[in-house]
Amino acid sequence: MNYGRNPELIERLAAEYALGTLRGRARLRFARMVRESAAAARAVREWENRLGPMALAVREVRPHRRVWTAIQARLPAAGGAWDSLAFWRNLGLVASGCAAALLVAFVVRDPRFAPVPVEKIAAPSAQMQPAYVAVLSDKAGKVVLLAYADRHSDELWLKPSGMQSIDSAKQVFELWGLPKEPGGAPRSLGLIPPREKATIKLAAAADQSLSDFPALAVSLEPAGGSKTGLPTGPVLYSGPCLKFW
Amino acid sequence: MADPAAQNEALRQLLAACAQRDSAAFGRLYETTSAKLFGVAIRILRREDWAEEVLQDCYVNIWIHASKYSAALSAPMTWMTSIVRNRCLDWLRRPNLEVVIENEEDGGNPIDARASEDPGPFEELSRTSDARALADCLARLEAKQRQAVMLAFFEGLSHSELAAHLREPLGTVKTWVRRGLMQLKGCLGTAA
Repeated sequence: MNYGRNPELIERLAAEYALGTLRGRARLRFARMVRESAAAARAVREWENRLGPMALAVREVRPHRRVWTAIQARLPAAGGAWDSLAFWRNLGLVASGCAAALLVAFVVRDPRFAPVPVEKIAAPSAQMQPAYVAVLSDKAGKVVLLAYADRHSDELWLKPSGMQSIDSAKQVFELWGLPKEPGGAPRSLGLIPPREKATIKLAAAADQSLSDFPALAVSLEPAGGSKTGLPTGPVLYSGPCLKFW
Repeated sequence: MADPAAQNEALRQLLAACAQRDSAAFGRLYETTSAKLFGVAIRILRREDWAEEVLQDCYVNIWIHASKYSAALSAPMTWMTSIVRNRCLDWLRRPNLEVVIENEEDGGNPIDARASEDPGPFEELSRTSDARALADCLARLEAKQRQAVMLAFFEGLSHSELAAHLREPLGTVKTWVRRGLMQLKGCLGTAA
C-alpha cells in the first residue's frame, strides 16, 4: 500500500500501532514504513508518548534472577566501566578466543618465553609444559600486558607494552586475580615493578595460586599498594587468564 | 516512592551511561526498571516464560541501542516501555500462539486484573503530569471507548480479541478504538 502521501492514514496507523491493535501483516508493513519514513516514525513516537504513561499503572512484577543472568550472558562484550563492580563480576564470564593466538604471538616473539618451538605450540604435545597465560587489555581493547607462568613455578612473568605512564614515587600498578564465583572478592597477586620486563613472586606455584582465577586485572594504587586488600583505585586493565596445555 | 521528575532524570543518566558502555549503569537500570517492564510484558503475554524471554531480548536491545535514546524525544520509561510492548506484540504474531490467545478465559489468570475495571490505574496515573493529563483525558472518553483503548493497551488485545471480550461486533469495536484515540489526541493536545 502506498500511504506515503496520506498523513491522515499515517496518523491513524501510528495510533493503532502504538496502541497495539495494528496486527499481522499490516503491522509489519507499517513497521517497515516507520523505519523508512521520518514522518511515520515521528507519528509513532508521538503516540507512544501519549499512551506510554499508561504503563505506569501496570503492577510491578519482579523477574526471576535467571533473567538478569541470561541478559548478562547475551551482552556483547562490554568496553567500559572497568572500575565497576558489575564489570568485575562479569569478567569471569568473558572467554577470549583470541587469547590462544596471542599466546602464540607472545611466546614466539620473546625467546625467554618460548622454551618450545612454534610447531609444538600449534600442535600441543605431552612434552609441552602446561602454563598459565593472561592477556590484559585496556578499555579500547588494546593488549597492554601479558603474563605467563609455568604451572609448577611461582614466578609470574610480565611483559607490559603500552601501559599508561605513572609517577612511580606516588603510584603503583597492582595485579589482581578475579574469582570465578559472582561477587567474590579479587585477590592481590602483587605489585607490578615499573620495568619493561618484570616478574611477580606468586604465593605458591601457578597451579595453586592462579587456577582459581579466570581473569586478572590491574588497578592503579597509591605507592606501596592497596591497604585494604581490595582494589581502591581505578581498574585500568583486565583480561582472561587461561591454562594452556 | 521518589519524585517522578527525579526518577526520570536518574533514568536518563543511566541510559546515557549505558550508551557509554557502562555496565554498572546498565545493572542499575535493570534494577530500577525491570519489575515495571516485566509487569507490562506479563500483562500482554500472560505467560511468565514468554515474558522472561521478551524481557531478555528487550534489555539486550536497550543496551545495544542506548545511544539511540534521545531525552528530547521521549521519557526514558516511555522509550523502554515501547520497546517491550512492540516486542510482546511481535511475539504474539507467531502463528502458533493464536489459539492460546483466543481461548483465554476472562479473569482466570491472577496476574490478569483487568485494567478497565480496576480503580488502581487512575490513582497510579496521577503521579506524573503527563500521566495525570492522560488519566484526565481517558476519564473523559465514553466508557466503552475507554474500556476498549485500555484493554488494547494493557492486555495487548487485537480488534477481534476486543470484540470477543466485549461481545460486540468487530466494526463497532474498531470504531470505538479509533474514535477513542482521536479524542485522546485532541484532549491531550489542548491540555498541553
